[in-house]
Amino acid sequence: MLLWRQFLMEWKLYSRDKGAMFWTFAFPVLMLLGFGTIFRDGSGPKVTIVRVQAGAESARDAALREAIEAQHVTVERLSPEAAEAKWKDGKAAVLVEGSDEAPRLRVNAYLMAQGMQGASLVQQASLLAQAKLSGQPEPRRLPMSVESPGKAKATNYAAFLLPGLLGMNLMSMGLFAVGMVNVAYREKGKFKRLGVTPLPKSIFLGGQILHRLTVAALSVIFVLIAGRLAFGISNQGSYLLLTLLIFLGTATFMALGFALSSFANTSETYAAISNLLFFPMMFLGGVYFSLEGAPKWLQDSVQLMPLGPYLKALRAVFNDGAGLQGHGLGLTVVGAWALGSFLIAVRRFRFA
Amino acid sequence: MSELAIRIRGLRKQFPGVLAVDGLDLEVRRGEVFGLLGPNGAGKTTTLEIIEGLQTADAGEIEILGMPWKTKAQEIRARIGVQLQSTSLFNKITPREAIELFGGYYPKARPTQELLDLVQLNEKADAYHVGLSGGQQQRLALALALVNDPELVFLDEPTTGLDPQARRGLWEVVRRMKAEGRTVLLTTHYMDEAEVLCDRIAIVDHGKVLQVGTPRQLIAELGLPSVAELAFDQAPPDPSTFSTAIGRPVDIVEDRWDMHLEDPKGQLPGILEAADRLAVPYAQLHLRRPTLEDVFLQLTGRSLRD
Repeated sequence: MLLWRQFLMEWKLYSRDKGAMFWTFAFPVLMLLGFGTIFRDGSGPKVTIVRVQAGAESARDAALREAIEAQHVTVERLSPEAAEAKWKDGKAAVLVEGSDEAPRLRVNAYLMAQGMQGASLVQQASLLAQAKLSGQPEPRRLPMSVESPGKAKATNYAAFLLPGLLGMNLMSMGLFAVGMVNVAYREKGKFKRLGVTPLPKSIFLGGQILHRLTVAALSVIFVLIAGRLAFGISNQGSYLLLTLLIFLGTATFMALGFALSSFANTSETYAAISNLLFFPMMFLGGVYFSLEGAPKWLQDSVQLMPLGPYLKALRAVFNDGAGLQGHGLGLTVVGAWALGSFLIAVRRFRFA
Repeated sequence: MSELAIRIRGLRKQFPGVLAVDGLDLEVRRGEVFGLLGPNGAGKTTTLEIIEGLQTADAGEIEILGMPWKTKAQEIRARIGVQLQSTSLFNKITPREAIELFGGYYPKARPTQELLDLVQLNEKADAYHVGLSGGQQQRLALALALVNDPELVFLDEPTTGLDPQARRGLWEVVRRMKAEGRTVLLTTHYMDEAEVLCDRIAIVDHGKVLQVGTPRQLIAELGLPSVAELAFDQAPPDPSTFSTAIGRPVDIVEDRWDMHLEDPKGQLPGILEAADRLAVPYAQLHLRRPTLEDVFLQLTGRSLRD
């Protein structure tokens, strides 16, 4: 059968390009291992607080330090000069300065995330220290546990990251491995010879799509294995839904790649067009961090691009073990992108 | 069955800023080898790509093997063979695989081994395309053009970049195609090639056919004079004094002086005498009949290879 032969030939030629093949499969696994390891420890902020101190430590000061250290945060004690030098280098997120009667906080504007977290820790610790010194009973802390939304047991960042990487991998495969490669091949005339044969375009596209689907499936399997071995992450939901979502993602982003490639005659043009979609989706689609705190208009507009709603649905299944209830609208957006891109691709695809 | 392999009327194709094909008419008979000659940018390749179905014309009628492109595209594609000006294949496909792959696209395909033999690629049958020499890639492209046993074969500058021996080899393949009853439409830069291979020739410039005929007809119809050539071992000197002495124009062509003589018998002695008298350091003297190259220069005002 023609489609099957076309598919086999795609794989044969692909497998001869060892470098490209290796990186396709290794890249998402390496990303997961890298980022997952860096942010592995979910407990406690990685902040060092600098206490600016000229003389010896007073009782009040010691109480504050102990209260901070009780929360597993390191306090570095420096002379005013050394502290100022460190501040100017941008290496201190929070400075506690002033006398022990009236300490003040300075927070580094460039390190807001750690800085604000550190600052609020110092505020708390200061209240605790004051209570302790005035002989009041120690305030009771609220019990706390870290877990992902839904019923998931996985609690580390890697579990949040993994579905994001799966989605981003499908997106970059569609936009670059399919779209970019097609433009480059057309530019070099590698498809032109096919245009004078009776090979139907649909068979040619079908062969490419089947090939890419299998590549995507393999790549997903590698990431899932790596996630389980390295971080003990596993799919909390139904494997059927996961498979369907992976299929939907591959189809959507591949169709998008084909559609975009029909608008560019040169690789340079294609790079410009595709980056216009790739970068907003990569940074704002929720691959690496959640957008809960972002402005409403930004969150809403990201939901109109395919990656955002896709990752929400993927995380609901993978991390929370939920079904697709409540994701109807989002998946409709994804489906609309898939269908629209597919129609454009079929209509506009050309060999030469 | 139509007697014509190709029939084209009033073909037009406009690109932004360029009218590439401007009302071109063409008829190619079944079984003939037909040459499309023209300088670079004359519209040959665009015309060929429209005939092959790679581009669409803005206006005009095209019939291939008696069928219009609009309704019979797949049938036409199944019965033509095409060698593009440059055939770019996937780097890591081998000639054997490429022939098998392309053969699979057609309702009938010739055996792979037969084609490898025909274009003498047996030794390189399992080497990657990227590692083949230019000539070998060209031969593979030729094999692909013949993979479906086509009735009509298009060859776009098939010998450009080939060494003389490979060119002769290709000529042999074209002659065999003709003997097998195929129709061949080719473009070329080489006049000798067109003269040797083609039954008929169309000279094309500015997107139009200027003249059609057999090579002999074209030469005879123009009534061009014979040409006397004085060839030099070194760069030819300035011919102006000589030109004045013999009272006729002298063209510098490559390493020689060319003079057009309407009456060689009467005029040649005067030229030899003047050359002796002025001590022109020529190495050889030739007198030749006009060739297609001269026809071409006359019609287009341009040399083929400029």
